Amino acid sequence: MMSKYIPTVGIEVHVELKTNTKIFSSSKNGYGETANSLTNVVDLGYPGTLPTLNEEVINLAIKAATILNCKIRRQMHFDRKNYFYPDNPKNYQITQSRTPIGYDGYVEIEVQGEMKKIFIEEMHIEEDTCKSAHRGSVSLLDFNRAGVPLIEIVTKACITSSEEAKLYLEKLKQLLFYGDISDCKMEEGSMRCDANVSIRKNEEDPLGVKCEIKNIGSISNVAVAIEKEIERQEKLVNNNETFQEQTRRFDDKISDTVLMRVKETGNDYRYFPEPDIPYVELTDQMIESAISSIPMLPDERRQLYITRGVTEINANKLIANRGLSDYLNEFIDTNLNFKEAVNLLLGDISGYLNKNEKTIYDTTLTKEKFLDLIKKMEENILTSKNLKDILNKILESDDSIDNIMKKCNISNITDTKMLEDIVLKVISENEESVQDYKSGKDRAIKYLMGQIMKETRGSANPQMVNQILIRELNK
Amino acid sequence: MKDQLTKEEVLHVANLARIEISEKEIEKYQLELKQLLNDVEKINEVEGYDNDILIACWSGPTNLRKDETGEMLNPNEVIKSAPRHSGNYIEVPVVISDGEGA
Repeated sequence: MMSKYIPTVGIEVHVELKTNTKIFSSSKNGYGETANSLTNVVDLGYPGTLPTLNEEVINLAIKAATILNCKIRRQMHFDRKNYFYPDNPKNYQITQSRTPIGYDGYVEIEVQGEMKKIFIEEMHIEEDTCKSAHRGSVSLLDFNRAGVPLIEIVTKACITSSEEAKLYLEKLKQLLFYGDISDCKMEEGSMRCDANVSIRKNEEDPLGVKCEIKNIGSISNVAVAIEKEIERQEKLVNNNETFQEQTRRFDDKISDTVLMRVKETGNDYRYFPEPDIPYVELTDQMIESAISSIPMLPDERRQLYITRGVTEINANKLIANRGLSDYLNEFIDTNLNFKEAVNLLLGDISGYLNKNEKTIYDTTLTKEKFLDLIKKMEENILTSKNLKDILNKILESDDSIDNIMKKCNISNITDTKMLEDIVLKVISENEESVQDYKSGKDRAIKYLMGQIMKETRGSANPQMVNQILIRELNK
Repeated sequence: MKDQLTKEEVLHVANLARIEISEKEIEKYQLELKQLLNDVEKINEVEGYDNDILIACWSGPTNLRKDETGEMLNPNEVIKSAPRHSGNYIEVPVVISDGEGA
Protein backbone atom coordinates (compact mmCIF):
# COMPACT_ATOMS: atom_id res chain seq x y z
CA MET A 1 0.00 0.00 0.00
CA MET A 2 1.36 3.43 -0.93
CA SER A 3 1.71 5.67 2.09
CA LYS A 4 -0.15 8.97 1.90
CA TYR A 5 2.58 10.69 3.88
CA ILE A 6 6.01 11.83 2.78
CA PRO A 7 8.78 10.66 5.13
CA THR A 8 11.80 12.90 5.72
CA VAL A 9 14.93 11.36 7.17
CA GLY A 10 18.23 12.86 8.27
CA ILE A 11 21.08 10.64 9.37
CA GLU A 12 23.91 11.22 11.82
CA VAL A 13 26.84 8.86 11.69
CA HIS A 14 29.65 8.65 14.24
CA VAL A 15 32.83 7.08 12.95
CA GLU A 16 35.89 6.23 15.05
CA LEU A 17 39.09 7.31 13.33
CA LYS A 18 41.93 4.88 12.66
CA THR A 19 44.67 6.58 14.69
CA ASN A 20 47.32 5.15 16.99
CA THR A 21 46.38 7.41 19.89
CA LYS A 22 43.38 9.26 21.25
CA ILE A 23 42.26 12.66 20.10
CA PHE A 24 43.52 14.72 23.05
CA SER A 25 45.93 12.36 24.80
CA SER A 26 48.73 9.95 23.93
CA SER A 27 46.84 6.89 25.25
CA LYS A 28 46.49 4.06 22.75
CA ASN A 29 43.37 3.99 20.59
CA GLY A 30 42.50 0.29 20.80
CA TYR A 31 39.56 -2.09 20.87
CA GLY A 32 38.96 -5.32 22.75
CA GLU A 33 41.65 -4.86 25.40
CA THR A 34 41.28 -5.20 29.20
CA ALA A 35 38.77 -2.63 30.51
CA ASN A 36 40.33 0.64 31.71
CA SER A 37 43.81 -0.33 30.52
CA LEU A 38 44.08 2.36 27.81
CA THR A 39 43.79 5.57 29.81
CA ASN A 40 45.68 8.43 31.32
CA VAL A 41 44.66 11.46 33.39
CA VAL A 42 43.37 13.38 30.35
CA ASP A 43 40.97 10.57 29.34
CA LEU A 44 39.73 10.24 32.91
CA GLY A 45 38.98 13.96 33.09
CA TYR A 46 41.28 14.81 35.98
CA PRO A 47 41.27 18.49 36.91
CA GLY A 48 44.26 20.48 35.72
CA THR A 49 45.05 18.30 32.70
CA LEU A 50 45.52 19.80 29.28
CA PRO A 51 44.12 18.27 26.07
CA THR A 52 46.57 18.32 23.13
CA LEU A 53 45.19 17.73 19.65
CA ASN A 54 46.45 14.72 17.66
CA GLU A 55 47.71 15.74 14.19
CA GLU A 56 46.53 12.48 12.61
CA VAL A 57 42.95 13.32 13.61
CA ILE A 58 43.14 16.53 11.57
CA ASN A 59 44.79 14.65 8.70
CA LEU A 60 42.05 11.97 8.61
CA ALA A 61 39.29 14.56 9.01
CA ILE A 62 40.61 16.52 6.01
CA LYS A 63 40.66 13.28 4.01
CA ALA A 64 37.12 12.37 5.10
CA ALA A 65 35.82 15.85 4.28
CA THR A 66 37.41 15.59 0.82
CA ILE A 67 35.95 12.14 0.18
CA LEU A 68 32.51 13.44 1.18
CA ASN A 69 32.86 16.39 -1.22
CA CYS A 70 32.75 18.86 1.69
CA LYS A 71 34.17 22.35 1.79
CA ILE A 72 37.03 22.50 4.27
CA ARG A 73 37.16 25.19 6.96
CA ARG A 74 40.59 26.74 7.32
CA GLN A 75 40.27 28.12 10.85
CA MET A 76 38.32 26.35 13.52
CA HIS A 77 38.01 25.89 17.26
CA PHE A 78 36.51 23.34 19.61
CA ASP A 79 33.49 23.76 21.91
CA ARG A 80 32.43 22.25 25.19
CA LYS A 81 29.06 20.50 25.15
CA ASN A 82 27.95 20.38 28.77
CA TYR A 83 25.82 17.54 30.07
CA PHE A 84 25.62 15.39 33.15
CA TYR A 85 26.15 11.72 32.52
CA PRO A 86 28.63 9.17 33.89
CA ASP A 87 30.09 8.41 30.46
CA ASN A 88 32.05 11.65 30.66
CA PRO A 89 33.49 12.66 34.04
CA LYS A 90 34.48 16.13 32.81
CA ASN A 91 30.72 16.74 32.43
CA TYR A 92 31.38 18.06 28.97
CA GLN A 93 32.34 16.61 25.64
CA ILE A 94 34.89 18.43 23.50
CA THR A 95 33.33 18.79 20.06
CA GLN A 96 33.02 21.24 17.17
CA SER A 97 29.67 22.95 17.39
CA ARG A 98 30.17 26.24 15.57
CA THR A 99 33.11 25.53 13.28
CA PRO A 100 32.86 21.99 11.88
CA ILE A 101 35.91 21.12 9.78
CA GLY A 102 33.76 20.07 6.78
CA TYR A 103 30.46 21.43 5.48
CA ASP A 104 28.21 21.49 2.40
CA GLY A 105 29.18 18.12 0.97
CA TYR A 106 27.39 15.20 -0.65
CA VAL A 107 27.51 11.47 -1.25
CA GLU A 108 26.10 10.15 -4.50
CA ILE A 109 23.96 7.01 -4.46
CA GLU A 110 22.11 5.10 -7.15
CA VAL A 111 18.42 4.64 -6.34
CA GLN A 112 16.54 2.39 -8.75
CA GLY A 113 18.83 3.29 -11.62
CA GLU A 114 18.92 7.04 -10.93
CA MET A 115 21.75 8.97 -9.30
CA LYS A 116 20.83 10.99 -6.22
CA LYS A 117 22.98 13.25 -4.08
CA ILE A 118 22.58 12.88 -0.33
CA PHE A 119 23.68 16.24 0.99
CA ILE A 120 25.99 16.50 3.95
CA GLU A 121 25.18 19.43 6.20
CA GLU A 122 28.41 19.23 8.15
CA MET A 123 31.14 16.94 9.40
CA HIS A 124 32.82 17.68 12.70
CA ILE A 125 35.48 16.24 14.96
CA GLU A 126 34.80 15.22 18.56
CA GLU A 127 35.90 12.86 21.33
CA ASP A 128 34.14 9.59 22.06
CA THR A 129 32.81 8.97 25.56
CA CYS A 130 33.56 6.00 27.77
CA LYS A 131 31.58 2.84 27.17
CA SER A 132 28.92 2.07 29.73
CA ALA A 133 27.04 -1.17 30.30
CA HIS A 134 23.96 -1.16 32.49
CA ARG A 135 23.42 -3.90 35.08
CA GLY A 136 20.25 -3.29 37.07
CA SER A 137 20.85 -0.37 39.40
CA VAL A 138 24.50 0.16 38.43
CA SER A 139 26.46 1.08 35.30
CA LEU A 140 29.88 -0.36 34.53
CA LEU A 141 32.32 2.02 32.89
CA ASP A 142 35.24 1.28 30.60
CA PHE A 143 37.32 4.34 29.74
CA ASN A 144 39.30 2.68 26.94
CA ARG A 145 36.88 4.34 24.52
CA ALA A 146 36.98 7.73 26.27
CA GLY A 147 38.81 10.16 24.01
CA VAL A 148 38.85 7.96 20.92
CA PRO A 149 38.65 10.38 17.97
CA LEU A 150 35.34 10.55 16.13
CA ILE A 151 33.95 12.35 13.16
CA GLU A 152 30.23 12.94 13.11
CA ILE A 153 28.65 13.22 9.67
CA VAL A 154 25.27 14.90 9.52
CA THR A 155 23.09 14.80 6.40
CA LYS A 156 20.50 17.37 5.48
CA ALA A 157 16.91 16.15 5.87
CA CYS A 158 16.89 14.99 2.25
CA ILE A 159 16.41 11.23 2.52
CA THR A 160 12.90 10.11 1.64
CA SER A 161 12.88 6.36 2.20
CA SER A 162 14.46 3.59 4.21
CA GLU A 163 15.98 2.28 0.98
CA GLU A 164 17.80 5.57 0.36
CA ALA A 165 19.00 5.56 3.96
CA LYS A 166 20.40 2.06 3.53
CA LEU A 167 22.10 2.91 0.21
CA TYR A 168 23.59 6.07 1.70
CA LEU A 169 25.01 4.21 4.70
CA GLU A 170 26.43 1.42 2.56
CA LYS A 171 28.12 3.97 0.31
CA LEU A 172 29.38 6.03 3.24
CA LYS A 173 30.80 2.95 4.92
CA GLN A 174 32.57 1.88 1.72
CA LEU A 175 34.00 5.36 1.15
CA LEU A 176 35.34 5.76 4.69
CA PHE A 177 36.70 2.22 4.72
CA TYR A 178 38.45 2.61 1.36
CA GLY A 179 39.69 6.06 2.38
CA ASP A 180 41.45 4.44 5.39
CA ILE A 181 39.54 6.79 7.68
CA SER A 182 37.99 4.08 9.86
CA ASP A 183 37.54 0.32 9.94
CA CYS A 184 33.76 1.05 10.05
CA LYS A 185 32.86 -2.07 12.06
CA MET A 186 29.30 -1.51 13.21
CA GLU A 187 29.44 -4.64 15.38
CA GLU A 188 32.36 -3.15 17.32
CA GLY A 189 30.81 0.31 17.44
CA SER A 190 33.40 2.02 15.26
CA MET A 191 30.52 3.18 13.05
CA ARG A 192 27.23 4.17 14.74
CA CYS A 193 24.05 5.54 13.20
CA ASP A 194 21.22 7.69 14.49
CA ALA A 195 18.24 8.57 12.28
CA ASN A 196 15.90 11.56 12.54
CA VAL A 197 12.51 10.72 11.12
CA SER A 198 9.42 12.85 10.50
CA ILE A 199 6.43 12.70 8.16
CA ARG A 200 4.26 15.31 6.43
CA LYS A 201 1.35 15.23 4.04
CA ASN A 202 2.56 17.44 1.20
CA GLU A 203 5.91 18.59 -0.14
CA GLU A 204 5.04 22.21 0.68
CA ASP A 205 4.13 21.50 4.33
CA PRO A 206 6.71 22.29 7.02
CA LEU A 207 8.59 19.27 8.36
CA GLY A 208 6.64 17.23 10.92
CA VAL A 209 7.65 16.61 14.53
CA LYS A 210 10.87 14.63 14.37
CA CYS A 211 11.93 11.69 16.37
CA GLU A 212 15.54 10.60 16.80
CA ILE A 213 16.33 6.89 16.81
CA LYS A 214 19.63 6.10 18.48
CA ASN A 215 21.98 3.15 18.78
CA ILE A 216 21.03 1.20 15.69
CA GLY A 217 23.51 -1.63 15.37
CA SER A 218 23.47 -2.51 11.68
CA ILE A 219 22.65 -0.91 8.35
CA SER A 220 19.73 -3.27 7.71
CA ASN A 221 18.34 -2.38 11.14
CA VAL A 222 18.52 1.32 10.24
CA ALA A 223 16.13 0.58 7.38
CA VAL A 224 13.82 -1.45 9.66
CA ALA A 225 13.90 1.24 12.38
CA ILE A 226 12.96 3.96 9.87
CA GLU A 227 10.09 1.87 8.48
CA LYS A 228 8.75 1.19 11.97
CA GLU A 229 9.04 4.83 12.98
CA ILE A 230 7.19 6.01 9.86
CA GLU A 231 4.42 3.48 10.64
CA ARG A 232 4.21 4.66 14.26
CA GLN A 233 3.97 8.33 13.29
CA GLU A 234 1.39 7.61 10.58
CA LYS A 235 -0.83 5.89 13.13
CA LEU A 236 -0.56 8.85 15.51
CA VAL A 237 -1.31 11.39 12.77
CA ASN A 238 -4.21 9.30 11.46
CA ASN A 239 -5.70 9.27 14.96
CA ASN A 240 -5.19 13.05 15.20
CA GLU A 241 -2.83 12.59 18.14
CA THR A 242 -0.12 15.16 18.76
CA PHE A 243 3.32 14.03 19.85
CA GLN A 244 6.50 15.60 21.16
CA GLU A 245 10.04 15.46 19.83
CA GLN A 246 11.62 12.45 21.44
CA THR A 247 14.58 10.11 21.44
CA ARG A 248 13.88 6.45 20.81
CA ARG A 249 16.18 3.51 20.45
CA PHE A 250 16.01 0.44 18.24
CA ASP A 251 15.53 -2.82 20.10
CA ASP A 252 16.66 -5.62 17.81
CA LYS A 253 15.01 -8.28 19.98
CA ILE A 254 11.55 -6.93 19.14
CA SER A 255 12.68 -5.31 15.89
CA ASP A 256 10.99 -2.03 16.82
CA THR A 257 11.78 1.34 18.37
CA VAL A 258 11.13 2.10 22.07
CA LEU A 259 10.99 5.43 23.89
CA MET A 260 14.17 6.55 25.65
CA ARG A 261 13.40 10.13 26.65
CA VAL A 262 11.64 13.26 25.58
CA LYS A 263 14.42 15.28 24.05
CA GLU A 264 16.36 17.94 25.95
CA THR A 265 16.73 21.20 24.10
CA GLY A 266 19.99 22.30 22.51
CA ASN A 267 20.31 25.24 24.92
CA ASP A 268 20.68 22.91 27.86
CA TYR A 269 24.03 21.80 26.46
CA ARG A 270 25.35 25.32 27.15
CA TYR A 271 27.96 25.16 24.40
CA PHE A 272 30.90 27.48 24.79
CA PRO A 273 34.35 27.62 23.17
CA GLU A 274 36.91 25.21 24.66
CA PRO A 275 39.55 27.57 26.08
CA ASP A 276 42.21 24.87 26.51
CA ILE A 277 42.70 24.28 22.78
CA PRO A 278 43.97 27.14 20.60
CA TYR A 279 42.51 27.83 17.17
CA VAL A 280 43.32 25.18 14.63
CA GLU A 281 44.52 26.68 11.37
CA LEU A 282 44.95 24.45 8.35
CA THR A 283 47.80 25.26 6.00
CA ASP A 284 47.80 24.51 2.26
CA GLN A 285 50.51 21.99 2.91
CA MET A 286 48.41 20.10 5.52
CA ILE A 287 45.45 19.95 3.16
CA GLU A 288 47.46 18.95 0.09
CA SER A 289 49.38 16.24 1.90
CA ALA A 290 46.16 14.76 3.34
CA ILE A 291 44.38 14.77 -0.01
CA SER A 292 47.33 13.27 -1.88
CA SER A 293 47.36 10.27 0.45
CA ILE A 294 43.74 9.24 -0.25
CA PRO A 295 43.80 5.73 -1.78
CA MET A 296 41.81 4.95 -4.93
CA LEU A 297 38.11 5.04 -4.00
CA PRO A 298 35.42 2.51 -5.02
CA ASP A 299 33.87 4.51 -7.90
CA GLU A 300 37.24 4.98 -9.54
CA ARG A 301 38.12 1.32 -9.02
CA ARG A 302 34.82 0.22 -10.58
CA GLN A 303 35.43 2.44 -13.59
CA LEU A 304 38.94 1.13 -14.00
CA TYR A 305 37.88 -2.53 -13.83
CA ILE A 306 35.05 -2.02 -16.31
CA THR A 307 37.41 -0.24 -18.72
CA ARG A 308 39.66 -3.30 -18.55
CA GLY A 309 36.89 -5.70 -19.49
CA VAL A 310 35.49 -6.76 -16.12
CA THR A 311 31.69 -6.95 -15.89
CA GLU A 312 29.97 -4.44 -13.59
CA ILE A 313 28.67 -7.24 -11.38
CA ASN A 314 32.15 -8.66 -10.91
CA ALA A 315 33.64 -5.19 -10.41
CA ASN A 316 31.18 -4.63 -7.55
CA LYS A 317 31.87 -8.05 -6.07
CA LEU A 318 35.58 -7.34 -6.13
CA ILE A 319 35.15 -3.93 -4.48
CA ALA A 320 33.19 -5.63 -1.71
CA ASN A 321 36.47 -7.40 -0.92
CA ARG A 322 39.08 -4.73 -0.24
CA GLY A 323 41.99 -7.19 0.00
CA LEU A 324 41.38 -8.65 -3.47
CA SER A 325 40.74 -5.22 -4.96
CA ASP A 326 44.00 -3.84 -3.52
CA TYR A 327 45.82 -6.93 -4.80
CA LEU A 328 44.47 -6.48 -8.31
CA ASN A 329 45.39 -2.80 -8.28
CA GLU A 330 49.03 -3.81 -8.02
CA PHE A 331 48.71 -4.92 -11.66
CA ILE A 332 47.35 -1.65 -13.07
CA ASP A 333 50.59 -0.96 -14.92
CA THR A 334 50.92 -4.47 -16.33
CA ASN A 335 49.18 -6.04 -19.32
CA LEU A 336 47.34 -8.50 -17.06
CA ASN A 337 44.02 -9.72 -18.46
CA PHE A 338 41.79 -8.22 -15.75
CA LYS A 339 38.69 -10.12 -16.84
CA GLU A 340 40.38 -13.49 -16.49
CA ALA A 341 42.14 -12.35 -13.30
CA VAL A 342 38.91 -11.20 -11.64
CA ASN A 343 37.12 -14.44 -12.57
CA LEU A 344 39.87 -16.38 -10.90
CA LEU A 345 40.09 -14.09 -7.84
CA LEU A 346 36.34 -14.21 -7.24
CA GLY A 347 36.08 -17.92 -8.06
CA ASP A 348 38.59 -20.54 -7.06
CA ILE A 349 40.92 -18.20 -5.17
CA SER A 350 38.10 -16.71 -3.03
CA GLY A 351 36.88 -20.23 -2.37
CA TYR A 352 40.33 -21.20 -1.11
CA LEU A 353 40.74 -18.03 0.98
CA ASN A 354 37.33 -18.36 2.64
CA LYS A 355 37.81 -22.03 3.38
CA ASN A 356 41.22 -21.44 4.93
CA GLU A 357 40.36 -18.10 6.56
CA LYS A 358 43.24 -16.39 4.80
CA THR A 359 43.73 -13.18 2.88
CA ILE A 360 45.40 -13.17 -0.52
CA TYR A 361 48.47 -11.66 1.16
CA ASP A 362 48.80 -14.79 3.33
CA THR A 363 49.39 -16.92 0.23
CA THR A 364 52.50 -17.48 -1.87
CA LEU A 365 50.85 -15.92 -4.91
CA THR A 366 53.46 -13.32 -5.77
CA LYS A 367 52.87 -10.74 -8.45
CA GLU A 368 55.05 -12.66 -10.95
CA LYS A 369 53.35 -15.95 -10.17
CA PHE A 370 49.86 -14.47 -10.66
CA LEU A 371 50.87 -12.95 -14.02
CA ASP A 372 52.25 -16.33 -15.07
CA LEU A 373 49.11 -18.12 -13.89
CA ILE A 374 46.73 -15.87 -15.82
CA LYS A 375 48.92 -16.08 -18.92
CA LYS A 376 48.92 -19.88 -18.77
CA MET A 377 45.15 -19.92 -18.43
CA GLU A 378 44.70 -17.49 -21.32
CA GLU A 379 46.91 -19.63 -23.54
CA ASN A 380 45.16 -22.81 -22.44
CA ILE A 381 48.38 -24.22 -21.07
CA LEU A 382 46.48 -24.65 -17.85
CA THR A 383 42.79 -25.57 -17.81
CA SER A 384 40.38 -24.69 -15.06
CA LYS A 385 40.17 -28.39 -14.26
CA ASN A 386 43.98 -28.52 -13.93
CA LEU A 387 43.89 -25.44 -11.78
CA LYS A 388 41.43 -26.93 -9.30
CA ASP A 389 43.87 -29.82 -8.81
CA ILE A 390 46.94 -27.68 -8.18
CA LEU A 391 45.50 -24.47 -6.71
CA ASN A 392 46.47 -25.36 -3.13
CA LYS A 393 50.06 -25.98 -4.24
CA ILE A 394 50.15 -22.70 -6.17
CA LEU A 395 48.93 -20.75 -3.16
CA GLU A 396 50.92 -22.58 -0.51
CA SER A 397 54.31 -23.42 -2.00
CA ASP A 398 57.09 -21.23 -3.29
CA ASP A 399 57.48 -23.50 -6.34
CA SER A 400 56.90 -21.99 -9.78
CA ILE A 401 53.75 -22.95 -11.65
CA ASP A 402 55.85 -24.75 -14.28
CA ASN A 403 57.43 -26.92 -11.59
CA ILE A 404 54.10 -27.65 -9.93
CA MET A 405 52.61 -28.66 -13.29
CA LYS A 406 55.57 -30.87 -14.04
CA LYS A 407 55.41 -32.59 -10.66
CA CYS A 408 51.68 -33.20 -11.12
CA ASN A 409 52.28 -34.57 -14.61
CA ILE A 410 50.07 -32.09 -16.40
CA SER A 411 52.71 -30.23 -18.31
CA ASN A 412 51.90 -31.60 -21.79
CA ILE A 413 48.20 -32.10 -21.68
CA THR A 414 47.35 -28.99 -23.68
CA ASP A 415 49.96 -29.74 -26.30
CA THR A 416 48.02 -29.40 -29.59
CA LYS A 417 49.77 -32.32 -31.26
CA MET A 418 49.06 -34.62 -28.36
CA LEU A 419 45.40 -33.61 -28.27
CA GLU A 420 45.09 -34.17 -32.04
CA ASP A 421 46.44 -37.68 -31.63
CA ILE A 422 43.96 -38.46 -28.89
CA VAL A 423 41.06 -36.99 -30.91
CA LEU A 424 42.00 -39.10 -33.97
CA LYS A 425 42.30 -42.20 -31.81
CA VAL A 426 38.84 -41.67 -30.31
CA ILE A 427 37.34 -40.97 -33.77
CA SER A 428 38.77 -44.16 -35.20
CA GLU A 429 37.49 -46.23 -32.27
CA ASN A 430 33.94 -44.81 -32.41
CA GLU A 431 32.84 -44.96 -36.02
CA GLU A 432 29.18 -45.34 -35.07
CA SER A 433 29.16 -42.05 -33.18
CA VAL A 434 30.95 -40.36 -36.06
CA GLN A 435 28.18 -41.51 -38.39
CA ASP A 436 25.54 -40.34 -35.90
CA TYR A 437 27.18 -36.89 -35.84
CA LYS A 438 27.28 -36.72 -39.62
CA SER A 439 23.58 -37.62 -39.81
CA GLY A 440 22.80 -34.69 -37.53
CA LYS A 441 22.65 -36.24 -34.06
CA ASP A 442 24.11 -33.58 -31.80
CA ARG A 443 24.36 -35.89 -28.83
CA ALA A 444 27.08 -37.86 -30.60
CA ILE A 445 29.58 -35.04 -30.17
CA LYS A 446 29.00 -35.00 -26.43
CA TYR A 447 29.74 -38.71 -26.29
CA LEU A 448 32.96 -38.26 -28.27
CA MET A 449 34.01 -35.36 -26.06
CA GLY A 450 33.40 -37.57 -23.05
CA GLN A 451 35.62 -40.29 -24.50
CA ILE A 452 38.43 -37.79 -25.12
CA MET A 453 38.16 -36.40 -21.61
CA LYS A 454 38.33 -39.96 -20.30
CA GLU A 455 41.51 -40.58 -22.30
CA THR A 456 43.07 -37.41 -20.90
CA ARG A 457 41.75 -38.05 -17.38
CA GLY A 458 39.75 -34.85 -17.65
CA SER A 459 42.70 -32.54 -17.87
CA ALA A 460 42.47 -31.47 -21.51
CA ASN A 461 41.22 -28.02 -22.36
CA PRO A 462 37.59 -28.53 -23.42
CA GLN A 463 37.56 -25.63 -25.87
CA MET A 464 40.67 -26.89 -27.65
CA VAL A 465 39.31 -30.43 -27.78
CA ASN A 466 36.00 -29.18 -29.12
CA GLN A 467 37.71 -27.21 -31.87
CA ILE A 468 39.97 -30.06 -32.94
CA LEU A 469 37.15 -32.59 -32.79
CA ILE A 470 34.79 -30.56 -34.99
CA ARG A 471 37.57 -29.82 -37.43
CA GLU A 472 38.45 -33.51 -37.74
CA LEU A 473 34.82 -34.65 -37.98
CA ASN A 474 34.14 -32.20 -40.79
CA LYS A 475 37.12 -33.31 -42.84
CA MET B 1 14.15 44.23 31.33
CA LYS B 2 13.26 42.17 34.33
CA ASP B 3 15.54 42.55 37.32
CA GLN B 4 15.56 38.96 38.47
CA LEU B 5 15.27 35.41 37.12
CA THR B 6 12.07 33.44 37.64
CA LYS B 7 11.97 30.67 40.19
CA GLU B 8 11.64 28.12 37.36
CA GLU B 9 14.77 29.45 35.65
CA VAL B 10 16.79 29.08 38.83
CA LEU B 11 15.47 25.57 39.39
CA HIS B 12 16.29 24.65 35.82
CA VAL B 13 19.90 25.80 36.22
CA ALA B 14 20.11 23.93 39.54
CA ASN B 15 18.83 20.81 37.84
CA LEU B 16 21.40 21.06 35.04
CA ALA B 17 24.12 21.38 37.70
CA ARG B 18 22.53 18.50 39.67
CA ILE B 19 22.38 20.48 42.92
CA GLU B 20 19.57 20.79 45.43
CA ILE B 21 18.73 24.28 46.69
CA SER B 22 16.40 25.54 49.40
CA GLU B 23 13.54 28.03 48.94
CA LYS B 24 15.69 30.70 50.56
CA GLU B 25 18.56 30.02 48.16
CA ILE B 26 16.22 30.17 45.19
CA GLU B 27 15.24 33.70 46.13
CA LYS B 28 18.89 34.65 46.59
CA TYR B 29 19.94 33.22 43.21
CA GLN B 30 17.02 34.84 41.39
CA LEU B 31 18.74 38.14 42.09
CA GLU B 32 22.40 37.09 42.10
CA LEU B 33 22.32 35.11 38.86
CA LYS B 34 20.58 37.98 37.11
CA GLN B 35 23.28 40.34 38.39
CA LEU B 36 25.92 37.97 37.00
CA LEU B 37 24.22 37.85 33.61
CA ASN B 38 24.07 41.65 33.56
CA ASP B 39 27.79 41.81 34.22
CA VAL B 40 28.51 39.33 31.41
CA GLU B 41 26.29 41.37 29.10
CA LYS B 42 28.78 44.23 29.44
CA ILE B 43 31.28 42.24 27.37
CA ASN B 44 29.00 42.75 24.38
CA GLU B 45 29.59 46.48 24.68
CA VAL B 46 33.32 46.06 23.90
CA GLU B 47 33.96 47.10 20.31
CA GLY B 48 35.71 44.97 17.74
CA TYR B 49 34.69 41.43 18.72
CA ASP B 50 31.35 41.35 16.94
CA ASN B 51 30.69 37.80 15.81
CA ASP B 52 34.19 36.44 16.13
CA ILE B 53 34.77 33.90 18.80
CA LEU B 54 37.72 34.89 20.91
CA ILE B 55 39.38 31.97 22.59
CA ALA B 56 42.98 33.08 22.35
CA CYS B 57 44.79 36.34 21.68
CA TRP B 58 47.08 34.55 19.32
CA SER B 59 46.41 32.71 16.13
CA GLY B 60 48.84 31.11 13.73
CA PRO B 61 50.12 27.70 12.68
CA THR B 62 48.76 25.18 15.12
CA ASN B 63 50.96 23.03 17.29
CA LEU B 64 49.64 19.52 16.97
CA ARG B 65 50.72 16.42 18.84
CA LYS B 66 52.42 13.56 16.95
CA ASP B 67 50.28 10.41 16.84
CA GLU B 68 52.63 8.44 19.10
CA THR B 69 51.59 6.34 22.09
CA GLY B 70 52.74 7.59 25.49
CA GLU B 71 52.62 6.31 29.02
CA MET B 72 49.29 5.04 30.33
CA LEU B 73 47.96 4.41 33.80
CA ASN B 74 48.00 1.02 35.44
CA PRO B 75 44.39 -0.27 35.22
CA ASN B 76 44.52 -1.38 38.88
CA GLU B 77 45.28 2.18 39.96
CA VAL B 78 42.51 3.49 37.74
CA ILE B 79 39.80 1.34 39.25
CA LYS B 80 41.10 1.86 42.80
CA SER B 81 40.73 5.63 42.36
CA ALA B 82 36.98 5.22 41.93
CA PRO B 83 34.70 4.75 44.98
CA ARG B 84 33.36 1.46 43.61
CA HIS B 85 34.46 -1.01 41.01
CA SER B 86 33.41 -4.37 39.67
CA GLY B 87 36.20 -6.43 38.14
CA ASN B 88 38.10 -4.08 35.87
CA TYR B 89 35.11 -1.78 35.48
CA ILE B 90 34.31 1.39 37.39
CA GLU B 91 30.88 1.09 38.94
CA VAL B 92 28.45 4.02 39.23
CA PRO B 93 24.75 4.32 40.00
CA VAL B 94 22.65 3.96 36.85
CA VAL B 95 21.33 7.28 35.55
CA ILE B 96 19.09 6.18 32.71
CA SER B 97 18.69 2.60 31.69
CA ASP B 98 19.58 2.93 28.03
CA GLY B 99 21.49 5.10 25.66
CA GLU B 100 24.23 7.52 26.37
CA GLY B 101 24.53 11.16 27.11
CA ALA B 102 26.22 12.88 24.21
